[in-house]
Parts: sequence; C-alpha cells; structure tokens
Amino acid sequence: MQKLHQVTLTILFLFSMLSFSSADTADKEARTLLSRLILGEKDNQESALDALDGNGSKIIETFYKVGRVGDVYKCANDDGSFTVYYKDGEFYYNLLDGNQVTEPDNLEKARLGRSAKKKLSKLADFVYIYSPIDQERIDAVHKFGGSQKPEFIELIRRNIDKQPNENLKQAFQESLEISLLKNGTHEEKLNAISYLSDMGSSLSVDFIKAVKLDSEAVLNDEAAEEEVKAEASALTKASDEALKSIESAEQKKELVQSVFFGVNRGSVLLLVSFGLAITFGLMGVINMAHGEFIAIGGYTTYVIQGWFASAYGVDSAAYEWYFVVAVPAAFMVSAFFGVIMERGVIQFLYTRPLESLLATWGISMVLQQLIRLYFGAANVAVASPTWLEGNVNVGGYTMAYNRLIVVPVAIIVLLVTALLMKKTNWGLHIRATMQNRLMASSLGIRSSRVNMMTFAFGSGLAGLAGAFLSQFDNVGPMMGQTYIVDSFMVVVVGGVGNLIGAALSSLGIGVIGQLLEFFYGSVMGKVGILFGIILFLQVKPGGLFTSKSRSLED
Amino acid sequence: MRNKFKAMFAAAAVATTSTSVQAEDKKVNVGILHSLSGTMAISETSLRDVLLFAFDEINANGGVLGKQINPVVVDGASDWPLFAEKAEELLVGDKKTAVTFGCWTSVSRKSVLPVYEKYNGLLFYPVQYEGEEQSKNIFYTAEAVGQQAIPAVDFLLEEGVKKFYLIGTDYVYPQTTNLVLHEYLLSKGVPAENIGGGSTKDSKGKVTSVGNYTPFGHSDFQQIVADIKKFSASGDAAVINTINGDANVPFFKEFAASGLKSEDCPVVSFSLSEDEFRSLPAKQLVGHLGCWTYFMSIDSPANKKFKADFQAWLKKTDVTGVVKEGRVTCSPMVLSYNGVYLWKKAVEKAGSFDVDKVRAALQAGISFDGPGGTVTSQKNHHLTKNVFIGETLENGQFEIIETIPNVVGEPFLKGTFEKK
Repeated sequence: MQKLHQVTLTILFLFSMLSFSSADTADKEARTLLSRLILGEKDNQESALDALDGNGSKIIETFYKVGRVGDVYKCANDDGSFTVYYKDGEFYYNLLDGNQVTEPDNLEKARLGRSAKKKLSKLADFVYIYSPIDQERIDAVHKFGGSQKPEFIELIRRNIDKQPNENLKQAFQESLEISLLKNGTHEEKLNAISYLSDMGSSLSVDFIKAVKLDSEAVLNDEAAEEEVKAEASALTKASDEALKSIESAEQKKELVQSVFFGVNRGSVLLLVSFGLAITFGLMGVINMAHGEFIAIGGYTTYVIQGWFASAYGVDSAAYEWYFVVAVPAAFMVSAFFGVIMERGVIQFLYTRPLESLLATWGISMVLQQLIRLYFGAANVAVASPTWLEGNVNVGGYTMAYNRLIVVPVAIIVLLVTALLMKKTNWGLHIRATMQNRLMASSLGIRSSRVNMMTFAFGSGLAGLAGAFLSQFDNVGPMMGQTYIVDSFMVVVVGGVGNLIGAALSSLGIGVIGQLLEFFYGSVMGKVGILFGIILFLQVKPGGLFTSKSRSLED
Repeated sequence: MRNKFKAMFAAAAVATTSTSVQAEDKKVNVGILHSLSGTMAISETSLRDVLLFAFDEINANGGVLGKQINPVVVDGASDWPLFAEKAEELLVGDKKTAVTFGCWTSVSRKSVLPVYEKYNGLLFYPVQYEGEEQSKNIFYTAEAVGQQAIPAVDFLLEEGVKKFYLIGTDYVYPQTTNLVLHEYLLSKGVPAENIGGGSTKDSKGKVTSVGNYTPFGHSDFQQIVADIKKFSASGDAAVINTINGDANVPFFKEFAASGLKSEDCPVVSFSLSEDEFRSLPAKQLVGHLGCWTYFMSIDSPANKKFKADFQAWLKKTDVTGVVKEGRVTCSPMVLSYNGVYLWKKAVEKAGSFDVDKVRAALQAGISFDGPGGTVTSQKNHHLTKNVFIGETLENGQFEIIETIPNVVGEPFLKGTFEKK
C-alpha cells in the first residue's frame, strides 16, 4: 500500500516535471533559496522566504515536512563553508542537488524558527494543492480560499476543472466561493452565499458572518447611498438565511458523525471487554485482573516497538511493521500470563466465584506493581507507525486511522470467536465445560485443559485490545484500571454468558455515550451513561440477553 | 572564609553546651508534604527530590543561621483529607517544623490551608494555580494565571491568532483560569463567538463556565477534536489547553491524527512541563507551545550549575525511591528550589525562624537569583519572575521563543478586565 503510494507519487511528480518546462529551474532555485534560509543571516533568510513565493517546487514541501520535526542539518566543509542536508525517512540527502548521501560526519542540527515554519507551511500549500493525496489537496485549497486573498482566486479557478473527482471539485469550488465572498462583485457574493448555503459548507460560516457584519455596518451608515444600502440589505438577508440553513445541515451532519464516533467507541469497548465476556461471562471467573492483561498487551507493544527501534532505527521501513508483530505478540504474552494465572490460582476456585474475585483482585495489584518495578511508575510513550497516522475523509466525516482500524478488528475478533465456539470441536468442548464442568469431564472432555485454554484465549484477547489501545491511549501501570469498569459494564449489560449480548451492549453504550457527549459534553455524557445503565438494570437485571437455564440457582 | 568563621562559631557554641542539646540545637526541622504514593506520586516525587537536593546543598554550605536542615518527609498519598492530617503532624507534635514545602493540586492546598492558619505555620506552594487565594500562612512561588495564561495569550494575539478554543480537565484550576482568560480575551477585543469550547450562563446571564471540559483520565477525544477542527477551519486559531495529566496523550494523538498541525492551529499547554514529556510521544507535540517561568533549556550559568549539581546529587544520593536515570528539571521543581532559598534568606534577614518575623521579611521583598532568573517575593505572597514561552522540540525540550522579564504575580484577576 505504502509502496504503491510512493510509486504513484513519483510518477505524478515526474509527470509534473515533464509538463512544466520551467520546473527544473524552479526546483534549482528553490533549493538554493532553502539553503540560504538555513545558512543566511536573518535578513537574508526573510528575503529567501519571500523569493520562494509562488515557486511551488516539490522540494519545498519535503523540506517543510522534515524541517518541522528537526531533520534538517548543516555540516561544515573543509573550506569553512556549510552544506545543508536533510533526512527524509531513513536516508540523508544533500539539499542543493537532491542526491542521496551516506550519513555525513559531524552533522549539526539546523533549527527552523517558528515564523519560518509558518511561512514554509504556507509555501508548501502550493505543492499540496497538486498532491496525489486528496485530503492534502483539500486542506491546501481550503487554506487558499480561507485566506480570502484576491491573488489566489485565479489559482483556484483554473484548477477546478482539473480535479479528478467530484469531492475535490466541490472543495475547490467551495474555496473559490469563500474567497469571492470578500473579493467578488455584489452578484458574485450573492451567488457564493447561495452556493455555500446549498452545499451546507461549515467552513464558510465565519466568512458569511463577516459578510453579514459588513453589510449591517453599511445599513447603519447614514452616509451610504441608497443603491449601496439596497445591495447590503440583500446580502444581509441572504447571509442570514444561509447561516440558518448551514447550521441546521451542520447539526444533522454532526449527529451522524457522533453516531460514527459511537460505533468506533463501541468497537473499542467490544475489543476491550470481549476477553472478559469469555473469562467472566462464559467461565464465571470474576476476573478483576482483566485490566492488567490489557496493560500487558500495551507494554508488549511498547517493548516490541523498542526492539524494532534499536534493531532497525526509527526511520527505517522495517520499523513501520513493528505493530504487525506486536499484535500477535501482545495476544501471546497476555495468553501466557493467563495460563500461569489459571494454573496457579483460578483452577482451584471454579466452585468459589467470590473468592476468585478477591484472588484476581490481589493478582491485579501484584501485576500493577510488577509493571511499576520493571517499567517505572510513569507512562511509557508508544509511537504509531506512519501508516496508522493520519486520517481518511469519508463523505465529509474525518476519521483517524488509528481508531478506524479498531472497527474491522473488533468485527474479526467477534466472527473468529463465534466460529470457534459454534463450528469447531474445541468450541463444543468449551460450551459443554462451561455449562457443567463435572458432567463434561465425566463425558470424557479434559475439562481442566479446556478451562486453561479458554482462560488463555480470553486473556489473549485482552492483550490484543491493549496493543490497539496503545495507538491512541496511554500505556501505563494504571492503564487497566481505566478499562476494567467499562468492561464489566459491557458484559453485565449484555447479559453474562452471552457473547452477542456483549457485542450489542458495547455498540449501544458507545453510540449512546457519544450522542450524550454531543448534546451535553463529555462530563455529563459519562454521568448520563452510568445513570442509564443503572436504570436499565432495574428493568432487565439479567442484561440484554439472559441465558436461559433450568438449574435452580439462576 | 565566611563558612570557616561560621564553623568556628558553631564549634565555640558546641563547646559551651551539653552534648544532648547540641545535636538538637544545631538542627532545624523542615517539612516536605508531597504525595509519594497514589496518582500524583509521578509528579510530586520529583519535587521531594529537588527539595532534598536543596537542603543538602544548603547544609553543605553551613545551613541556615548555623543550623543544619533536618528534612521531615511526610506522604500525602494523593489523599486530600490526609494532607490536612499530615500538615498538623508537621506543625505540632515532637517533630515540629519551622516551614513546610509542599502540595501540588489545588485541592490539597485548600485542604491544608485552615491547618496552617490555625497553627500559624508557613507553607511554600510551588505549582501553577488558578489564583483567587491569598493566605497569610502560604507563600505562592507558583505561577499565577497572570504569569502563564495571560502572557501566552498575549503572545498568540501578537502572532495574529484571532480565535481561541479553550479545553481543560473539569476541576478548579482549568475552570477558573478559563474564566479569567475569557474576560481577558473579551477585554482585548476578541468577540465572544471567537472563543470556542462553549460556555454556560446562569439565570442572570452571568458566564459561569467557559470552555470544553473532560473528566480526569478521559481517553476519547473524537468529538472534541472534530469540534476544534471545525473551529479552526477558517484559520488563525489556537487551542488553550489546561488538560491535566495523562489525558494529554490521547488528546494529542487524536489531534495529530486528525491532520491538525501546530503551524495552523498551535496548542498552548499549561500543565505539560519537561517532566511530563518523559511519558509523551514528543513527535506529536512538536511545534506546540508551552508557557512557564522556567525551562530546562534556559541558557544561563545559574541554570547550568543547577542542572549539573542536581544530576550529581542524584548520582550520589542514597534516599530510597529516587529515580536516577533520565531525570529532567522543570518549572515546579525550580519553583520549589527557589522557595527553599527565599525562605533561607528571609530567615537570615529576620535572624530568627519565627514565622511572623520570616513572613515580614518575605513581604518586605527578598530576591534570589534562581535557575530561571531573579525571583523577588512580593507583599501579596507571590513572586515577581520571568515568564518564558517555548516551542516543543522533538526531544521533549522547549526552545525558548519569547521571554517576558519580571512579571508581577497577582492572584486576584477575576473581574479586573474591562470589556471593550
């Protein structure tokens, strides 16, 4: 995927090189100017930045990208002059000729000042506006439009028709109209307002408000001519209506977005609680150490990331794949701890669930302290691989990859577990053992082995959740504590012993929680969901799906 | 030379008193009241370390008024009522202390305040706080709102930021700071609709809360970041962040993942110092801003000496529980350190450990050249000090981009800004 991206990028880049005959000279000039930006005196730097205006060479974007994270270096030559290098990915390049070089000796970090970075960010937009990545193009053109500078109107206008898809065309048109709100004639302004209102552009709200304020000022101005006043009054009316219509469109959109967020939150909850749905729901072990298995998964990811970083370096292509290794490893390590815990403690407590509560609680504290001893009390930093950074825009809804990935993973986990339970022999054994341990073993099932494997599987799923959580949340000794309450909540609401119930309840809690947050803010959202669950359990104490049983004790 | 003289004097004094009294006489008890266990331990343990370092440094140079400092360390255990009990222990009883250095959270300070007032004790409080308080028994070496939030906003306004989004953890410090900031922004001509995060008003139309708040340890910032993205879409926006503790990690991860960049929408954080960066992935924070009265990166002889001496102390100390690897220095640590020296100077000026006399000396104005520059105590129990604005680097340090010298500490800011 990444490779493919790079190839298209290169092809597009080469293509643009061919189509503009002057691209080569522009590139050379840009490189000289950028080098001056690093090596020159203050005045010289500013003039270099000014001279870069409108250059639009690819190198500006590259340089901005590496410069903002401190990957620009200078290196003294023998004759006292300096050469500028930058590091893109794992390789070093000479800025002036763009050739890849082996890491030069005595590199000295060259810092870009804040104002230089801001200016470069603006200059890079001239590159991003042709970027092969839609979202980068959209962000860039929005910035051009939002600046409302008349000099960009032409740039936006001439590129509208060149856009390959509707989504991009719309973004370009939207930016053009926003710019016209300030720079256009009266007719153009009215048209812009109606266009933006029709598309429900949330981006334009502030700009339409500005139009409204301006025209209201004209209306209040005694000295203004009648004709001007008539125009202003038309604009006020139009912008008023537009603002109302955008706002209502906006609210609908945000409501839908909250539901999306809710599905995502639900998937996280499902992933986090599914292990517990097995160990507590199916096996009946009140596993208070479930949270610590999540933490073990998170720490496994951290350790594997560390290994990859020291073995391959953080900029290498191999490092990018640490997460692919970390996910199964997190599963295995947590499952391993699960086996130890089951063999060591749990197996003696299947008939005494309340004692399993105390024992697992104790184990959870021991595990927390072990983590503290080994990794320290402070949280550890887990960095995401680049392919999990960034976001995708679907129909105007932005979603971050590191969260988005949880949704399919949760579905896969659900499906795999369901298949395992219903279609395999092992699943049959599990179900039999969980229903009645004594009966199952007297029928020839090695129930103690089944217990162990099931517990390991449940613990492993917790570890898997920890690996994914590490991509967007804290990894620390107390990590499990934040999720244990949520996990029990999901399992209890879903109905103890019912996996589908757990899936539905996590989805429900996720969506309702996000909707409450949307309306009442995150603090009240949290309070609301707890209150709702208490009420729900009053009505249905057994949860969504109550397991039917003929035994007397239920 | 002076030390020699002191030593001779002390020796002479020893010769004339009986041995059992000598040991007691040569020592002065000084209290350290921080959480060494519980959720706040991560932050507060660093302060215990730097205080012990300061005591050792002073003791090696002859102590205070010829007396060696005897640290009395008690653990508040992140349990606010317990803080009050421990404070009482320090003020009465057999280990009576002359002064206490301690507390991190505002709620712990509020918990011990009546105790210090009851027994007329003296407490030095070192961590940025919301103001609106001034006890005669507390000296606030901490950053007041006017020494952190206000200069940061001034800096952003100068940079051309027109829209401010306020976000924080739901407790007293962010709520109060944001209310003050709200008034300040309005007084600077920022229209109310350009202050994002929402606001609530009471029945009389008085604003009671401004900004978007999350519970402690919040981890799902999807909605909030989506809201910020919308808010900042028209450009020239910044986020004022008073989120506390590790909830910053999911926030910044979400922020970066949504495609927001520090060049387009910088986040100014008031609760993230170098110490917190030890557990944050710095890559996502590069370019975002911080505002404190000390940064580890300050390039001055005093700071270099402080850092080197502290590292040397860490190496040789045998106090249990001191983390020796990867230690950094940060503003709350330096403000603790400054507090110790201000107290020492005040005691020497007053010629006594008596709380009333020491207080009078401090109120009259004591200066100390600390690692972050000169600090001077004021009549209102706060400090005049330098304020720095820094940009986060990829190694978790700050590059100082603006220095505002000698900012006066003023706790009561609410209602002082006229709306334009």
